[in-house]
Amino acid sequence: MREASPDAAERSSRRGSRRDGMIVIPAYNEETRIAGVLRQIADADLGVDVVVVDDGSADRTAAVATASGARVVRHPTNLGYGSALQTGYKYALRNGYRLLVQMDADGQHLATEVAKLIGPVAAGEADLVLGSRFLEPGSYVMEPLKKVGSDFFRWLAAMSGLRITDPTSGFQAMNERVMRLYATNFYPVDFPDVDVLLTAHRSGLRVAEQPVRMLEGERASSLHSGWKPLYYVYRTLLAIWVASGVRPGTPSA
Amino acid sequence: MRIEELRELFLSAPEATSTRLLAAVLGVVVVVLILWLVRTRRLREEFTPLWVAGAIGLAMVSLSFDLLRWLTTMIGAWTPSATIFFLSVAFLGIVSLAYAVRLSRLVIDVKNLAQEVALLRAQLDESESARETAQQLREHR
Repeated sequence: MREASPDAAERSSRRGSRRDGMIVIPAYNEETRIAGVLRQIADADLGVDVVVVDDGSADRTAAVATASGARVVRHPTNLGYGSALQTGYKYALRNGYRLLVQMDADGQHLATEVAKLIGPVAAGEADLVLGSRFLEPGSYVMEPLKKVGSDFFRWLAAMSGLRITDPTSGFQAMNERVMRLYATNFYPVDFPDVDVLLTAHRSGLRVAEQPVRMLEGERASSLHSGWKPLYYVYRTLLAIWVASGVRPGTPSA
Repeated sequence: MRIEELRELFLSAPEATSTRLLAAVLGVVVVVLILWLVRTRRLREEFTPLWVAGAIGLAMVSLSFDLLRWLTTMIGAWTPSATIFFLSVAFLGIVSLAYAVRLSRLVIDVKNLAQEVALLRAQLDESESARETAQQLREHR
């Protein structure tokens, strides 16, 4: 893939005034909340660039994000949450970012917690760090149904030797090796989940967790309503089965 | 009348010329339609094998009633019409599965292309704003 071997000269010429790390925020119709999230990030003074991937919003998400000082990548059409994240990985790889943090646009993930995630990645202790709501007990109350699903996926991951407490966390920090793996076609277009983590684990990437505080998010609750949870569990199980059969190969360092 | 005799009766029923003619004409029409669609560039060649095979199958079955009777006995159906229905459903199932496979690949292709467009546009925007900044700096000096 092109992302895997960017031309060194081209890369350095594009670097410009970029920093080493970037935050990617996938956003779909988030004009009311994106500015607040971006302000929090600016206030936290993290020393990273911020890229909002506008997933074909019908509202003014892109304009608001640009006005708030973020770099904006706009999908020409709505491609899905997973695709928006993946656009972020591809952007980071092309522009030579060595570290990436992904956050949600609804304010669920807190900018003040980003440094905790970056720590182990920057120190070279882990390739992928997940922000976990459950490492510190009592910090986050989940709906019973979601809890059951989360526990089930956690158990599944443990079966494969991946010990994590919060497999559905979308708050993650990663290095270039993870981005390269995530930029390939196996990455789901809708909701990347424990199947993706298992693929990373099987590829020899080191997955770690950090305790973080999270607020209640609206994306998660809209996803887990009606028939969706059932489909979601089915799809993830299928994806895990597929992932167990295919070794994507260790991404080159 | 015993049940085996009833089945024999169904199988040995004389073929209706009108039905045969209708099926044969339908088969020919479908083949001609497909060729015409391909020729007018409205249908791509790689989509046609399944349809052409289906149409030829229909024509063959309608021309040779013995073939249909043999098929009916083979699959354990009672009437030749049931065989035709079964084959049609199987054919439609295969066609839609083939399309689902193709769609799955197209989803990935479209996603990658849309991402490429988004990334290129972002790159263009950024280099343009960089050029504008440089321009303003020069004018300022």
